[in-house]
Amino acid sequence: MSAILELDRASKSFGGIAAVSELSFVAGRGRVTGLMGPNGAGKTTVINLISGLLTCDSGSIKLDGAEISRSKPHDIGALGLARTYQNVRLISGLTALEQVVAGSFVKRDTSFIASFLHTPAARRRMRALRDKAMHLLERVGMAHAAGTLAETLSYGEQRRVEIARALGADPVLLLLDEPTAGMNPQESNEIGLLTHRLRDEGLSILMVEHNMKLVVDFCDSVVVVNFGRHIADGKPLDCIKDPKVQEAYFGKQRIDADGLGAIG
Amino acid sequence: MDNLSDLWATYRSTVAFAMVNAMFALSTYVVLSAGFLSFSTVVFGAMGGFVGAQMVIHGLPLAIVFIVSGLAGLLVSMVVAAVFLRLNSHWMALASLALVLITRVVVLNATTLTGGVNGLGIPMALPLDWLTGILVLTVLAFYALYHSWFGIASRVLREDPSVAACMGVDLRKVQFIAFGISGIVGGVGGAAMAMLLQYISPDTFFLGIAFTMIAATVLGGSYHWFGPVLGAAVYTALPSLMQFIVPSLQDVANGVFLLLIMVFLPRGLIDPRAMRLRRSAKGRSS
Amino acid sequence: MELFASQLLNGLSLGSLYGLFGIGFGLVFATLGILNAAQGCYASWAAIAALVVAERAGLPFPLIMFAGMGAAAVVAVIVDQMGFQPLRARGADMLGALITSIAFWMILDSLAGFATGQQSLSFPPQSYPGQMLLTQPVPLPAMQLIAILALVVVAIGTHLLMTRSAIGSAIRAVGWNPVSAALSGVNSRYVIMLTAALSGAISGLAGTLGGVLTSNVSFTLGQGLMLKGFAAVVVGGYSDVRGTAIAGVVLGILEVFVGQYFSASYRDAFTYSLLLVFLLVKPQGLFGKGSFVRA
Repeated sequence: MSAILELDRASKSFGGIAAVSELSFVAGRGRVTGLMGPNGAGKTTVINLISGLLTCDSGSIKLDGAEISRSKPHDIGALGLARTYQNVRLISGLTALEQVVAGSFVKRDTSFIASFLHTPAARRRMRALRDKAMHLLERVGMAHAAGTLAETLSYGEQRRVEIARALGADPVLLLLDEPTAGMNPQESNEIGLLTHRLRDEGLSILMVEHNMKLVVDFCDSVVVVNFGRHIADGKPLDCIKDPKVQEAYFGKQRIDADGLGAIG
Repeated sequence: MDNLSDLWATYRSTVAFAMVNAMFALSTYVVLSAGFLSFSTVVFGAMGGFVGAQMVIHGLPLAIVFIVSGLAGLLVSMVVAAVFLRLNSHWMALASLALVLITRVVVLNATTLTGGVNGLGIPMALPLDWLTGILVLTVLAFYALYHSWFGIASRVLREDPSVAACMGVDLRKVQFIAFGISGIVGGVGGAAMAMLLQYISPDTFFLGIAFTMIAATVLGGSYHWFGPVLGAAVYTALPSLMQFIVPSLQDVANGVFLLLIMVFLPRGLIDPRAMRLRRSAKGRSS
Repeated sequence: MELFASQLLNGLSLGSLYGLFGIGFGLVFATLGILNAAQGCYASWAAIAALVVAERAGLPFPLIMFAGMGAAAVVAVIVDQMGFQPLRARGADMLGALITSIAFWMILDSLAGFATGQQSLSFPPQSYPGQMLLTQPVPLPAMQLIAILALVVVAIGTHLLMTRSAIGSAIRAVGWNPVSAALSGVNSRYVIMLTAALSGAISGLAGTLGGVLTSNVSFTLGQGLMLKGFAAVVVGGYSDVRGTAIAGVVLGILEVFVGQYFSASYRDAFTYSLLLVFLLVKPQGLFGKGSFVRA
C-alpha cells in the first residue's frame, strides 16, 4: 500500500515566523488520515500548502507520486485533489446543485469552445454531470435542497453541500478542513460514517479535526502537529495517550483514554 | 401613423446610441464578471473606431469593416491582458484609467490614422439593420457564454478566486479569454460608434464614455448579460427623459439617478441572486 | 538662465498644486480604499466658494483660503455620508464606491458649471497677494511662493498627523478595518468623516490656490488637477504623503520643461506614460511600500 500523499520536510514561514517547520508525514492510500493539533498549530497552513494556495519555502509534497510543492492550485486540482474550507466557502448566488456542478469543473471533459457552441456532446456531458451532482447531494443528504440558494441553508447543511462540491471533482484525495465544526454529535457522526463509505469506495481522505471522538471512531491513522512541527503519528488512541500530545493539548495534565467519552 | 413615424425619427438616434452603448457595456461586463474593473473597453473602442473609420473612408464593405475592427480590438486586448493581468484588481482599475488618458494622447499624435486633433469624418451612416444584427449576434453569444463552462468558471472566479483555483479553474486563462471577448466586442462597438456619430475625435473615446459604460453596466447589473443591455438602454434614454422633466438640470438628474441606484440597488437592476432570494422567500411563505 | 529659473519656479508651483491635490486624493484612497472620481469637484468648489467670499466679503487672503478649504471639506463630508457610507454599511467594494463617486462627479461638476455661468472666472486683483517678491535674480510672484509653502506645510503636517498622532493612528486603523477599530474604542463614524473632511480641505486648498494662479475658476480646474494629482499619487506612492508631494513637484517641473523644450502635446503624453510605467513596474510608487491588501 503506497501513500497517496507524502510530505517531506515541508516548511513555510511568514516574515520570520515559522508556521510549518520541517513537517513530514504520509497519508495512506484508501485510508482516512486525521490531522490534529491544538489551535494555531498550523493545520490550515498545511492544508493550504498541499492545495497550492501557499508555496513551501522548502521541502517536498507528493500527490500520488507527483511532486506538487511548486504547482499551481488549478494543476493540483486537475491531478485529483479536492478540498473543503474551515469557514465554509460556497459561491454566492448559486443553488446547491449548481455548487456541485461547478465543483465537477475538472471532470467536465469539454473544451470551452465546445461548451460555448453547446454541441450535442457538450450538452450530453453536462446532463450527465448534473445527474451525478444530484446523486452526490443525495449521498450527503441534501437532495431536497438542490434548487435552493446555498447561502440560505443552515451552517451544517452548507458544510454538507461543500463536501458534495468537493466530491464532484471525483478526487483521489479529499482534504476536509474541520468538516464537523458547528455540528451536533449526531450530524458529526453522520459525516464520520460518510467518510468511511467514501473510503470503502477507494477515496483517500485527509481530515483536519478537533473532535477527538470523531478522530478515534473514524480515522485509520492520525498525524499530530504543534507549532508547525510533527509531534506524533500512528493509531488515534496511541497518539492521544502519547505524553507529548497530551502536553500539547492540555499542558502538563494527564487524562486516561477512558475519559475520552466525555470529550467531543 | 404619421405620429408613429415622427416619434421614430426623433428617437431613432437614441435607440441606435443605446444599442452601441450596450456593446460597450457588454464589453465592460465580461471583464467585470471575471473579477476585474477595467476601463480598457475605451481603448478597444478607440482602436476599432479609428481603424473602422479609415476602412469606411476607403470604401471597404461593411462586413469587412466590422470583422477587422473586432480583430483590432482583440489585438489590443491581448496586449493589455498580457501586461495588466499581473496586477491585482485595484491596480488594474488605476492602470486602465491611465491607459485611457494615454490613448487620447496617442490618438492626438497618430495623425495619419486618426486625423489628430481634427478627428475623422465618416462618410457613411450606420445602417440600423446592421447594428441590430450585430447586437443580436453579440447578445446570443453572451447568452451562450453565460450557460457555458466559461460562464460557470468566471462566476466562481469572481466570487472567490482561491476556491476557483482549487476547483481547477485556470484563473489566467479565464481572464485572458474575458479580455479577448471584451476586445472584440469593444472594437466592433467602436466602429459602430464611429459610423453613428459620423465624426470621431480624440475626445470621443475618453473619460466621458469610460464613465458612461461603467455606470451603465453597474446600473443594469453586472451579474447577468442582460444587465448591461438594459443598463445601456436606461442610461442612454435617461437624458432624453430628463430633458422632458428638468431640461437644464439634465446632468444633475442623471447623477442623482445613478446615486439612487447605487444606494438602493447596488447589484443593479438585473440580479439573478436577488430574483432567487425572492423566489425562495415566496416559496417558504406559501 | 533667467528663463530656466523662472520656468523652474513655474514648474515648482504648478507641481505643488498637483502634489497638494494628490495628498488629498491619496488620503482617501490609502485609508478608505476609495477611488474618488469626485475629488476634482472639491477643488473646483473650493475655488468657487473662495471667489464668492473674495468678491462679496473682501476678507484678507488667508481667510479666503480657509473659506475655500472649509467649503471643500463640507462637500467632501456630504459626499461621503450620502454616497459612501450606505455602501460601507453594506460591505460594498471599491467598484460601488467608484460608481457612486462618478454620480457625484456628474452632479457637482454640473452644478459648478451653473455657478460660474459655464465660464472661467478670475479672482479680483486685490483679493490675493499679486505682487512680485523678487525681480532679481529671477521673478518670484508671491502666489507661487505661497503654493510651494502650502505644499511643504501640508505635506509635513499630514505626514506627522498620520504617523505620530493618535488621530492618525485612528484614521489608519479605521481604514484598515473599521470593525476592529471600533472594538478598540475608536469612533469609526467620526474618524471617517474627519478623514473625508481633511482630504476635501487639502484638495480644496489646491483648488483655491490653483484658481488664483491659473485664473480659471470653473469645473475644468478640478478636472485638470484630478488627472495630474492622480498621476502624482501613483508615481509617488499613495501610502506615503511625502512621496506624493515630491512626485507632484517633479511632475510639474517635468511638464513645464517638456512643454517648453519639446511640444505642448507631448507634455501630457509624458506624464501619462510615466504613470503607466509606474503602474506596471512599481505600483507602490517611488516611496510607497507594501501591496494594496486590505484586511
